[in-house]
Amino acid sequence: MSKSVSLSCMLWGRLFACFAVALLGGGLSSAQADPYVPRTENAVLAELSAGTRFADVTARRLARARVDVAIPLAQFYIQQARISGDLRFLGYAEAVLAPWVKTNPPLPDVLVLQATLQQSRHEFTAALATLDRASAARPADPQALLIRATVLRVLGRYAEAGPACEQFSRRVEPRLGALCTQSLRGLTGDLESAYAALTQISSQGWLNAEKSWLYSELGEMAVRLGRDDDAQQWFQRDLTLVPTDFYVRAAYADLLLRQRRPAEVLALLKGQESFEPLLLRIAIAQKQLDDPGLAQSSVRLRTAFSAELQRGEAVHRREQARFLLEVEEQPKLSLGAAIENWTVQREPDDVLVLVNAAKAAGSPAAAEPALAFARTQGQTDVRVFR
Amino acid sequence: MNAPLKICCMLLLMLAGPLAQAHIASNGFLNLNVEGAQVSGAIELAIRDGELAVGLDHDGNGQVTWGELKSSQTALQNYVLGHLRLRGDGAQCRVGFNPVQVNERVDGTYLWLPFTADCGVGPKRLSIDYTILNAEDPSHRGLLTLSANGAVQTGVLGGASVIRIFELDHPSSRSAFIEYLRAGIWHIWSGIDHLLFLLSLLLPAVLLRRQNRWEAVPMAAPAFVHIVKVVTAFTLAHSITLSLAAFDVIRLPSRLTESVIAASIIVAALNNVFPMVTAGRWRIAFAFGLLHGFGFASVLAEMGLPTGARLVSLVAFNLGVEVGQLAVVLAIMPLAYLFRSTAFYRRGVMPWGSSAIACLALVWFVQRAML
Repeated sequence: MSKSVSLSCMLWGRLFACFAVALLGGGLSSAQADPYVPRTENAVLAELSAGTRFADVTARRLARARVDVAIPLAQFYIQQARISGDLRFLGYAEAVLAPWVKTNPPLPDVLVLQATLQQSRHEFTAALATLDRASAARPADPQALLIRATVLRVLGRYAEAGPACEQFSRRVEPRLGALCTQSLRGLTGDLESAYAALTQISSQGWLNAEKSWLYSELGEMAVRLGRDDDAQQWFQRDLTLVPTDFYVRAAYADLLLRQRRPAEVLALLKGQESFEPLLLRIAIAQKQLDDPGLAQSSVRLRTAFSAELQRGEAVHRREQARFLLEVEEQPKLSLGAAIENWTVQREPDDVLVLVNAAKAAGSPAAAEPALAFARTQGQTDVRVFR
Repeated sequence: MNAPLKICCMLLLMLAGPLAQAHIASNGFLNLNVEGAQVSGAIELAIRDGELAVGLDHDGNGQVTWGELKSSQTALQNYVLGHLRLRGDGAQCRVGFNPVQVNERVDGTYLWLPFTADCGVGPKRLSIDYTILNAEDPSHRGLLTLSANGAVQTGVLGGASVIRIFELDHPSSRSAFIEYLRAGIWHIWSGIDHLLFLLSLLLPAVLLRRQNRWEAVPMAAPAFVHIVKVVTAFTLAHSITLSLAAFDVIRLPSRLTESVIAASIIVAALNNVFPMVTAGRWRIAFAFGLLHGFGFASVLAEMGLPTGARLVSLVAFNLGVEVGQLAVVLAIMPLAYLFRSTAFYRRGVMPWGSSAIACLALVWFVQRAML
């Protein structure tokens, strides 16, 4: 018996040593997020980019007195938000516009910018109301019509988006008008022929932004048609032209993720972690690759999403649903987010997110409203309807 | 926000080190702690938001350094005084600042400005008037965490609704105690793994190992002593690690803890089938009890400890665990003692019951460690 005791003591001794190592390791790795005092005066705490300096605040104060300063400044900030994906710029634009939105009546230009801001924040109903006011002051403003068509399209109100698109077409160059109408046709039962029509459009003489719009529509249509190789070409063309097109970069990443090419996703999105929709794709790719970077990406996404949730904002609800399903593997929670997302926006990707979440959560019936909607519109999407 | 998501955030935030920037909308973080008449707290603003508020980049080189932040301290304090007004029961609180520090968050470095506020005698109602960055960035919000006498509330400040009023209820540390006591009991009963571990160590308490056979103990006294030793060792060990983890002294990855807890059950149960340690089982109870404590801690971390009543809640939770555990011991051990001399107990329950427990734990182990 004494022998067995000493043997077992050795065993326990070793186990205990194991625990000690584990404890230490755990203690070391638990880097704490506590306030601290930096070691040197020269420690750099933040880099400030253009438009985020204190001096810019002065320009904004000036803009309170002069609308001819306010409008271009707001445009600049909206542009910065688009290029960098930094949502704070939308706040700066709002600050600049604030006094001019309250004047009676506001200038149509101010209202159109205000609607752009609201659309960027996914406040779609508010954006439509603002556009109504803008069109009362200046009917048939092309920019206003285009935003209206876009918002109505995101909401799935295609019957109302059609007239906005047609009005827009009458006010701009016919090829651009065709782009608006054909994109809409692609969502209402004529995907094949709309795609064919758009491939025939010549984009000669167009601005890069206009070409980029064409390529992104074509790429997304090709995805829904199941022509992945075509889609890839359109996306690549777009990104060569406008490398800052986050929207297309995300769509391209989704295509690669569906084809199980995660390593290429990481290459495509390298250095773009600061933009949540792209960070989401990075995290999904890391998950597919079993990449250790996943933990860090997940923390950042969770933090960003939880702040949004606490603020009661809906900007990234589609991404939240995908994050919960494809990264966190929480199908029930994901379904909740996807259902809520469906009440806000109704694009093909929103149908897809809801269908996937419902399937994973074991309640396919939950996706029925979205499927019925897509069917009624006669939508083609190989990702949803096989 | 739903609870599981929030919990995940909190847990992972604790583990996160400094990271590159993420672009989330502008948030400030206001933490307030009300204990009696004393209100203490801190406001946290992104460095770039501090720049917008008072201008931190003095040399205009596009970088904000610690030196620049420190020299802007007075300006920052004045800005906060002007844009964050606290009133206790209608009377303005007098705010005094402590030296500025910095904090790393997921989206970059934040300045952290701690303060104390004198709001008169034990305010029942706190009103917060938050206009920080209101003019510079109307989309800025203050995310408030308000702990008052053990109860925690959260809120979103700023935007259109400038003044927010929060009721501070006093007698909540008692209700926190009961809540955490209940959680402790519930956890030990629902988390069957802790009980199986303890049971595996206690099953042989009513027996003696002699010449490779189990024999019934002749008297109740040694069995009782055995039980007390094992239960005490287990309790002591998991209380130690539970407290250490609850106060963030040590943290272990949950995969590791959960796996080792499963392994501990296997070891304890197999020790009944192929006895190696027949005397002093309390040592096993103690050694593995340390690990089980981390298991309890993860539950507690999910619930979160109210800042004002951390110790009380921790004690309550631990007491709950002990109460739940004792109840089970008291229900089972008298039966074991009663049946100790039957073949059913010695040749049935001991080897087969223990084997079954070991098998179950093996499944858990594989699930937790390898899948």
